[in-house]
Amino acid sequence: MASTSKSRGLLISCPEHPETPLVEDYHAGDMICPECGRVVGDRVVDVGTEWRTFSNEKNNKDPSRVGAAENPLLEGGDLSTMIAIDPTSAQQLDEFGKPMYRNRRTVNSADRALINAFREIRQMADRLNLPEMVSERGNTLFKQVNDTKSLKGRSNDAVCSACMYIACRQEGVPRTFKEICAVSKVSKKEIGRVFKLILKALETNVDLITTGDFMARFCSNLALSQKIQKAATYIATKAVDLYLVPGRSPVSVAAAAIYMASQASEDKKTQKEIGDIAGVAEVTIRQAYKLMYPKAHQLFPEDFKFHTPIEQLPTQ
Amino acid sequence: MMADGVVLPHMMQAQFQNGTPAVLGAPEVIEDVTMPEDEPLNISISISNVVCTFSTKCHLNLKKIAMEGSNVEYHRQHGMLNMRIRRPYTTASVWSSGKITCTGALTEEDAKIAARRFARKIQKLGYKVKFSNFRIVNVLGTCALPFCLNITNFSREHKEASYEPELHPGVTYRIKDPKATLKIFSTGSITVTAPRVANIQSAIEFIFPLVERFNAGPRAESTVSVNPEKLKNKNRRIANRVHKPELEVEDYESDSDFEDSEDFDSDESQD
Repeated sequence: MASTSKSRGLLISCPEHPETPLVEDYHAGDMICPECGRVVGDRVVDVGTEWRTFSNEKNNKDPSRVGAAENPLLEGGDLSTMIAIDPTSAQQLDEFGKPMYRNRRTVNSADRALINAFREIRQMADRLNLPEMVSERGNTLFKQVNDTKSLKGRSNDAVCSACMYIACRQEGVPRTFKEICAVSKVSKKEIGRVFKLILKALETNVDLITTGDFMARFCSNLALSQKIQKAATYIATKAVDLYLVPGRSPVSVAAAAIYMASQASEDKKTQKEIGDIAGVAEVTIRQAYKLMYPKAHQLFPEDFKFHTPIEQLPTQ
Repeated sequence: MMADGVVLPHMMQAQFQNGTPAVLGAPEVIEDVTMPEDEPLNISISISNVVCTFSTKCHLNLKKIAMEGSNVEYHRQHGMLNMRIRRPYTTASVWSSGKITCTGALTEEDAKIAARRFARKIQKLGYKVKFSNFRIVNVLGTCALPFCLNITNFSREHKEASYEPELHPGVTYRIKDPKATLKIFSTGSITVTAPRVANIQSAIEFIFPLVERFNAGPRAESTVSVNPEKLKNKNRRIANRVHKPELEVEDYESDSDFEDSEDFDSDESQD
């Protein structure tokens, strides 16, 4: 673990090369001049690990560590001292028979809210099967929001949900508001409000959602084959490009495209099923489908194998 | 209040400074906007709502007013009273502190007249009412452009505008000077909320060049103007609104495609 240090030239330096910065060699405990190799200082304390562990089993106790890993970005450094209660040996009892030193974990109160929020975000990510990266980003966002204090009055649950939503968006895996609602206690309206407030407070922007973002998820939840998924993606992007569905939410357009693609293939899904998965109302799918149906010829990809030809597609 | 075909029934009185001294009840107030090509385009802006507040500077006993007054509804859970007068057709939310919010008026003068009428009504019930702190909180105006808009591209280009298709079908564009909030829809309709009527015109003039670049073709005839029936019904549909003391009211613009009303409330103070 050698590293170059600032030359404490005033204190020690190589007598022949006073200007050269000394190199510290921690493992040997030396300070060495790189020019001539002279050991200038020795018996420097080694701050490396005391022993190396080679065991495979994940012991809870890693003897190389002195405490749990810090969460530096997200909380104030927790350098407080805790008095551990040794469960095996006799407890020091005070007068009434209650154990002394009961309090072993008084977390810093400011951090308590943060810790709770992080746990919430973690749980939401677990329910949505999102990777740790998204959780981490959500945590960072929450910390930033907390620091600005502009959303102080809002319930923590709402802020967590909104942070989750933004994190998903920023990581490129957007989840619809309804999906976030499903794993949270907060209403869609409140999440939407807080979402806008956070964007203003952090002065960030998010990219617009597109139809393609949801195709993979919806199609696999409906157990549709890859071919249908690709066709639906193509249909949706074409529909948006041809400006057939102005003002419609991309989720609705995606749902309608899936409907069209599945109806043209062997595996036909009803509007109700698609609506349940996508969180879109049946009538909404119907409306978007009606707008797309007249141009069905142009929407399907060229290499699509029609099980049901376009003429026999349902008109609504 | 008759709807007359394409002509919108309730129009602005002569407030616009473009020289057209509109007569009371005149069909349209025109704003001349010059297009890059030769002829000026006429766009009419209509004011749908003016919200104002004032204070009676005395404590009011809402329960008594509810029992003695006419055309009042008492909402005990929210601690407020709804009072309506017929001419001009307006609704007032009355709180026991004496603060009153008056909505539904169609011009700034009408709002003041209505506010005075409400104060008079309360005075007749025996309270020492002093008409004070009258101020116009909010004016809502709508405008229909003759062409459709590509709002996705517009929102991509203008990052200061907020477009969340899941939450609201329109782009929300806030401008600082003149202070106004515009909601721009893909059909070409624009609604503007501003603290003053003059701001509305300048806001439309400001937004027009930005928006016409994203022209997406002429609008279909069937959606040409704000449906006058719908406008009237919106003004009437006040009993379902819930007033909270912080002046947060359910939005007037509710789109059938989106069941949630947006957080932007036209009755909220735009000052």
